[in-house]
Amino acid sequence: MLLELRGVSRRFGGLQAVADLSMTVARSAIHGLIGPNGAGKSTVFNLITGVIPLTTGQIFFKGDRTSGLRPSEICRRGIARTFQATTLFREYTVLQNVLVAAHLAAAPGLASALFWSRAYREREQRARERGQALLDGLGLGSVAGRVAGTLPHRDQKALALAMVLATGAELVILDEPMAGLAEQEKAETTSVLRRLRGDGVTVLLVEHDMKAVMGVCDTVTVLDHGLRIAEGTPREIQTNPAVIEAYLGAEEPGA
Amino acid sequence: MAPSSSKAASPPPAARRGAGAPAAGVALVALAAATLPLVTRDSYYLDVATTILMNLTLTMSFRLQVSTGQINMAHISFMGIGAYASALLVTRVGLSFWATLWIGALVAAALAVPIGSVALRVSGPYYFLITFAFSEVVRLVFNNFLEGWFGGPSGLVGIPKPDRLLGLAFEGKLELYGLMAVLCVGVALAFVRLEYSRFGLTASAIRQADLLAETLGVDVFRYKLTTFVLGSFVAGLAGVFFAHFRQVLHSSDFGLEPMVLLVVFTVIGGTGSVWGPVVGTVLMTIAGELLRELHHYEILVFGAVLILTMLWAPEGLVALPATVRRLLRMRRSKDARAMGVGLAP
Repeated sequence: MLLELRGVSRRFGGLQAVADLSMTVARSAIHGLIGPNGAGKSTVFNLITGVIPLTTGQIFFKGDRTSGLRPSEICRRGIARTFQATTLFREYTVLQNVLVAAHLAAAPGLASALFWSRAYREREQRARERGQALLDGLGLGSVAGRVAGTLPHRDQKALALAMVLATGAELVILDEPMAGLAEQEKAETTSVLRRLRGDGVTVLLVEHDMKAVMGVCDTVTVLDHGLRIAEGTPREIQTNPAVIEAYLGAEEPGA
Repeated sequence: MAPSSSKAASPPPAARRGAGAPAAGVALVALAAATLPLVTRDSYYLDVATTILMNLTLTMSFRLQVSTGQINMAHISFMGIGAYASALLVTRVGLSFWATLWIGALVAAALAVPIGSVALRVSGPYYFLITFAFSEVVRLVFNNFLEGWFGGPSGLVGIPKPDRLLGLAFEGKLELYGLMAVLCVGVALAFVRLEYSRFGLTASAIRQADLLAETLGVDVFRYKLTTFVLGSFVAGLAGVFFAHFRQVLHSSDFGLEPMVLLVVFTVIGGTGSVWGPVVGTVLMTIAGELLRELHHYEILVFGAVLILTMLWAPEGLVALPATVRRLLRMRRSKDARAMGVGLAP
């Protein structure tokens, strides 16, 4: 078990965004988190990555408790995420974005940054080469020198994914990786996700495109009003009456 | 700072991080500083040049903090802490200036650790207000408390010039100018190296998107505190020099007005690049001298310049060439569309 949520809840004033949620994410799986708007999916992501604190409950990653830690420490433990509204360092080039994300792999000391020792320069050169290789693998190699803010939407999404991978995270959390993409681009993203799983990276994703979710996920968890209403393989989920009711609304008795 | 490429999207200053540009820039600053005494040894000009270099160490260290998203309104206070610390250590304890130069800066840095740790719990306008409140506290302490030590409203007087070092006396303007030039070039070299290193890359990333940086594993608080303490050390260093250069300290030297000028210099030059403070400080200190006749009204002119800069060159004067090029390109593509050769909308 890579990630475990135990009785996690989060309350915003009078709104119970997530209620007593317990779930697990298995290693080297693609795990989908779905649910109607306002079901609490993004809140769950924010809780796992430490962006907002839990009201109650605990979260464990590789057996260690991560709830209560700061986001940077949680990332250090091996969890990285993208944001629903694609967020990048817009003034930086594509490669520089990846270099910032690769911070953990080559943590720069203040002294080495001041004195530019030979070891420091060599490490920087290696980091650039690794970053370039990562970008090549995601089809961004040719735009490595472009300013991130000027990229088309598709490339911005791919860059956000590249940055998450650059951290070396074992668990990658993606908030709507398919949103706004054309069919062809969705297919590319799907194959990238499968490749990651093959490399031993675990993926947890929120996605509204049901066809994509059912096509790529090994396990799907369904949330509604902050409650977990179903979990299982895509096939089980598609025929689960509770899920159908949540998405389509209950049939009126006698209608 | 002309970019070497003319691609459709020329990277902003922060994106140009080669090895050549930083060394050339610092060499240029050092060369300019070394040339001045060959041109003139008039004490007035040397005085203005010394002030420019002193302001430059302050604006460059202030900019380092801005690059991580902090507007530290107490920056000038750490200059004051360095200044008063050194003045007292020399006059009361009898230490040498060459020791207190570093001790004063270290005192400022040491005080910056707890103060930064508290202030950096918040960000944005709250951080601005906390640091502003702290700077007023420091100013009032210098003005109203321990009058026997700080000299109260009439100031701390009788501070000696730096003592002899390696056979050099620091009595004249030229020697003091030379000392400040060495300090300033050393500080500039350190900051430029930081800016063009991985540390600078990460620091400026925090300004662009702090939450993203944090979730990618960057300890944002530690980065901010590091720049806060490092900036305070440099401000303290400038303060020590200031104390023994002016030989008298008043609490108002470290009050709101000089702090606002510091912000104005930096913002007019541009905070997006390590070269912004250089441009802003040199131009505005000279402008301030030319406007000396206006007395207290010079700040009105500075205000107007600041507003115009914000309107027409929000990224500062240092980014002006790139801004003009972008505008020209937009106009050209608009003309092209008007002639019907552009892409259909």
